[in-house]
Amino acid sequence: MNFFDYHHFPVYSIMVLFLGAFLIVLMGKNKTVRNIIAFAAMACSVACMLALFKPVMLEGEIISYWMGNRSIAGGYAIGIALEVDALGLFFGLLISSVVFVAGLYSFQYMSHDDNQQQYYTLFLMLAGGVMGLVLSGDIFNMFIMIEILTFAAVALTAFRNQVYGALEAAFKYLVVGSIGSTCILVGITILYAQAHTLNFAQLSLLIPGNLNNATKLAFALLYIGFSTKAFLVPFHPLAADAHGAAPASVSVLISGVLTKSGIYGIIRLTYFLFQTMGLGSMQFMLVFVGCVSMFVCVTMALAQHDFKRLLAFHSISQIGYVLTAVGLCTALGISSGLYHAMNHTLFKGLLFLAAGAVLHETGTTDLGKLGGLSKKMPQTTILFLIGAFSISGVPPFNGFASKWMIYQATYQKAVESGNIGFLLVTVICLVTSILTLASFVKVSQSVFFGQLPKEYENVKEVGLGMRFAMGLLALACIVSGLFPELVTTYITEPAAAAVFNVGNYISAMGFDGSAVAAGTVSFESVGVWTPVSWLLVLCIALLAITIVALAGKYDRVSAHEGGETVDTKYQLFYGGEENVFSQVGGDDLFWGFKHNWKGYFNFMHDMHSGIVNDYALWAVVALALAIVFTQIVL
Amino acid sequence: MITFNYIASFFLIALGLYCIVTKYNLMKTVIGLNIIDYGVNLLIIAVGYNHGGTAPIFTPGELNPGSFFVDPIPQALTLTSIVIGACVSAMSLALVIKLYESYGTLDTRQIRRLRG
Repeated sequence: MNFFDYHHFPVYSIMVLFLGAFLIVLMGKNKTVRNIIAFAAMACSVACMLALFKPVMLEGEIISYWMGNRSIAGGYAIGIALEVDALGLFFGLLISSVVFVAGLYSFQYMSHDDNQQQYYTLFLMLAGGVMGLVLSGDIFNMFIMIEILTFAAVALTAFRNQVYGALEAAFKYLVVGSIGSTCILVGITILYAQAHTLNFAQLSLLIPGNLNNATKLAFALLYIGFSTKAFLVPFHPLAADAHGAAPASVSVLISGVLTKSGIYGIIRLTYFLFQTMGLGSMQFMLVFVGCVSMFVCVTMALAQHDFKRLLAFHSISQIGYVLTAVGLCTALGISSGLYHAMNHTLFKGLLFLAAGAVLHETGTTDLGKLGGLSKKMPQTTILFLIGAFSISGVPPFNGFASKWMIYQATYQKAVESGNIGFLLVTVICLVTSILTLASFVKVSQSVFFGQLPKEYENVKEVGLGMRFAMGLLALACIVSGLFPELVTTYITEPAAAAVFNVGNYISAMGFDGSAVAAGTVSFESVGVWTPVSWLLVLCIALLAITIVALAGKYDRVSAHEGGETVDTKYQLFYGGEENVFSQVGGDDLFWGFKHNWKGYFNFMHDMHSGIVNDYALWAVVALALAIVFTQIVL
Repeated sequence: MITFNYIASFFLIALGLYCIVTKYNLMKTVIGLNIIDYGVNLLIIAVGYNHGGTAPIFTPGELNPGSFFVDPIPQALTLTSIVIGACVSAMSLALVIKLYESYGTLDTRQIRRLRG
């Protein structure tokens, strides 16, 4: 038996992470030993994934691996399988490399904390859980991995339990996360009762032709379960709480890795397991949830006062883009969605690490207290700005390339299907992008520019280890933005092609998947470059904004004369010379916008009440809606 | 009998969800999570149950096509599920203790520093 055959690499890349976690428990007392073990585990995992790049991505092989060599008996899968196609490898590569960068960063970032042995154990468990989820070919194994990653994420959220709200965030995450995991388990049980197998490929063969009320119920349960893992609306408050409290290196994992595992689950569920994405109603469901996530979270982000909490809401907003693109069910849509998922991991990781650097040096992430740090931390500022430009979709950076592809994909879908609703989706994507830019103007104004408060006179630049990790991600942001063709040709298009070749996925496992028709895969975009059509979209957007402005009681006079006392802090906008040099607080930059929309903002503020019962109620309502919707349309 | 198992398991799941949504005490939230877990365990066992089947334990050569036994896979799944349920309880109770130490209350309506 050849141990260096690449067919063993998937299981190695999961195993080394868990092995590292256990070794750190056993002999991680010494700092050097602990760091070496963690580094070796993460490096091995990345190396195994990179070695699979050539056979899986370029040559299109699908690796199937039976644990303990127990495969198929009597037409039924009896062993636990790993199956790696281009889609799984795409997520595996992304996850292992981000884990690697976050690990490098935490060597220095966590060096002042207690209990680092437990930190690295949980960190590697979380990484191993996500790797196991994306490479697994067995649905129950996927559930186990989801539980491992949920527990590790909850424990890491509360790791700095003296931080304001950390315990509370962890408890809320645990309660709603457990409801989500339970939904997945019940869904798996129902599928097992119907098909008597747990193998993913065999389920994909048996389920789609035999939809009944029970499997429809299972679909709804699995969908809700995976959307708790991706923190889609209405589960976004958990993400915001968890990110704000967790250490920055863990925020990177929660935003860059955990949300991707949820998206991965939804792709596997809709395109592979049930193959229902051909239905217009299913496309509507995903695109609708994506658009709502996108818009609600970006407006919530505008109203935040905490650096990391703001970034958390943006994270879910970007996940909304990914889900919208995936829900289009076109090759271009999936390719652009995966591209954006990759870019989101890179730039959001960079932004969280920059926020962590600010926290590490100043001890706070409150936007109201910070300011002027660009004088003290110039390199962090530049790295942050690269991340901010990327997420806002400013041209040379990667966010522009993927967002542009998403606009194209939605527009193309509108042209192909003749459905005017998809044009509205394009407009929502554009508006969200503008609001993202606006809130990053606010962040850079409140944190890095403006006046430096007295107490931060002695702030220094962060250490080389943290800057190196941020630099890696910034470089990746620029490179993937400058060469979008390379990324799409070699990484996202094979993965998108794999999504449309479910038959191959089933056949690779040893079942007869030839009956499942492969979809036509074309990455051509139609008529998207014609300027006239974009002018039309612009006109629609302007019209929409005018309508909103008119409907939003656009009334300048009443703000001052309607009995309200005008706050003196706004006087620098019209107060003449004496106020010119006073610091503009980040919260005040868009006060006019917020004032006009105060009904909406107050409503959203009251909705996110912070009471765990409310969030659990949202989960139950979402579950009920999903069950009713799937029973009607599937 | 089997139908009754299914009804009971979904009733337990619904009861647990009701408990989590309506009760404002952290301990009761944890109890709600446990009740959901019991419901799920009962559901998994009910899926694998064959009326009149024997235990699925055979020595090599004893198993023949006429053997009638309950499905062993759901039983294995239930064991895993029980372990996970125990983890949920342990972890949430640990968090409840820490929350009580720092907030001085178990009322969820007062544990809401993070909001908006």
